[in-house]
Amino acid sequence: MTRFAVLLFLALGAPADAQTDPPLHRVEFEVGGGILGGASLGSADANLRANATTKQPYRLFSTASRISSRPAVHARIGYAFNRRFAIEGGGVFTRPVVRTSVSGDVEGAPALTVDERIDQYFVEASILVSFDEIRLGRRTVPFLAGGAGYLRQLHEGLTLIEEGHFYHLGGGLKHWLFARDRGFVRAAGLRADARVYLLLSGMSFDERPRPHGAASGSFFLAF
Amino acid sequence: MRVLSLALIALLLLPHRADAYLEFTISVAGQSTAFTWKKTPVRWFATDRGVPGVTASEFQAAVARAFTAWESVPSASIAFQFVGFTGAEPFDEDGVPVLGFQNEPDLDRVLGVTGFVVDTVTGEIVESDVFFNSAFPWSTSPSGDPTRFDLQSVATHEIGHFIGLGHSALGETEVRPEGGRRVLATGAVMFPISFGRGVTLDRELQPDDIAGVSDLYPDASFRKETGVARGRVVRNGAGVMGAHVVAFNPRTGSLIGGFTLNTDGEFQIAGLTPGPHVIRVEPLDDGDVGSFFAGRNPIELNFQATFHDRLFVAPAGGVGERFTVTVRPK
Repeated sequence: MTRFAVLLFLALGAPADAQTDPPLHRVEFEVGGGILGGASLGSADANLRANATTKQPYRLFSTASRISSRPAVHARIGYAFNRRFAIEGGGVFTRPVVRTSVSGDVEGAPALTVDERIDQYFVEASILVSFDEIRLGRRTVPFLAGGAGYLRQLHEGLTLIEEGHFYHLGGGLKHWLFARDRGFVRAAGLRADARVYLLLSGMSFDERPRPHGAASGSFFLAF
Repeated sequence: MRVLSLALIALLLLPHRADAYLEFTISVAGQSTAFTWKKTPVRWFATDRGVPGVTASEFQAAVARAFTAWESVPSASIAFQFVGFTGAEPFDEDGVPVLGFQNEPDLDRVLGVTGFVVDTVTGEIVESDVFFNSAFPWSTSPSGDPTRFDLQSVATHEIGHFIGLGHSALGETEVRPEGGRRVLATGAVMFPISFGRGVTLDRELQPDDIAGVSDLYPDASFRKETGVARGRVVRNGAGVMGAHVVAFNPRTGSLIGGFTLNTDGEFQIAGLTPGPHVIRVEPLDDGDVGSFFAGRNPIELNFQATFHDRLFVAPAGGVGERFTVTVRPK
């Protein structure tokens, strides 16, 4: 991704040491990729009602599931109101594997582990707060980002498994490769993000929110 | 109108039972058709005779609560109406649904029996009667009486038959040394064997029962909001008849079952909540096979309980991807 970004920058023909700050008000478009971390989906027992006074259910078998870490790709578009605040919206796509273990069958059915690949789409909206006053060097600006979004999970690209919503919070760095005060493309740069997605719904076998860590890198253009 | 009388053998054998919903069917114009009530509310009468421990009015109230359990299923559209008390007997073919006590000491393992008169041209239930065997002690105590059978629980089961449901095999039993079976656990009111004296658990419908009544009497949303699993069970490449197939939704904890109903080993389970399910197949070894299949091809029991090697994802409306579960001989 870095190599691609640098090549594109060269193609734009702007010198690396040209200019100063990016435009105050700007639209940014970015694409990138990264890793979306896995998480436990919880465990569940297949229970029958026991014929006993103990009120303990009668367990037929047990299941436990986990969603795997997988590469993710994303695209975002944003608008900077000023040097401090920006909003952005975008989408993330990933294809994790849901691994389900089935065990402890009361009639001795052999335990097994089942893997199912699912398609997972995040549509998100975020607020970015940049800290221009604590630049790292001349061109690298730290930021915090938080927001919410809609989640859609499909099995084999067709059958809807779950949909729901999530929150995310994180931060990162924006590094300006160049910026100029005229032309259609006013600036370009690289961005690194680390964030936590807190999925409040979606495929889960218990009702607890599921945190997923994520790390990503992007190339962006400002207009 | 041609009618067929069916004494359905209510199989509340005292000490045991099995798992999953099944619908009563007849052949109409060469097609297997579930028989159902076509007009609602279904009107019913209660006999005007009580038994020791249960007056006629207590009987009527307990049975009315059992009807309400089925009527209250949100995804089903059947309704009932109590008309009044009657001096008629439950199994008179008089076109009037009657529920009441009847003394049948020879049926020493049967708590209740449901019978039908069915129009074999349309599949419509013309009449259904239920008797509760007064050879056994009964109770309508709110918390149950440990020395008596809970009338409301047994009535809830019999009314499942009354509306056209067969037995579910969702349950586990053990053989008693003195004969018969004892229920260890069940996942459906429609399991053929009663929990026993004093237990009131079967007053409350389970997901398997709810799927069954909703499939027979679907409301406007049921088909759109739930999915269907279809597939086969095979052993050595050949279909397995009478296998019990259970779909478990880990998210909701619900267990809904079905059976392979032909020699190709084909099954269908409707009423599944959208989302992933674990599929488990087992032989019908927790009850009398005759409780589930009367007069069909031989039921295959010689195979191991087996999980399907994939998750089945039920769609919201429609049928999910067909699948095959391969089982091995014991």
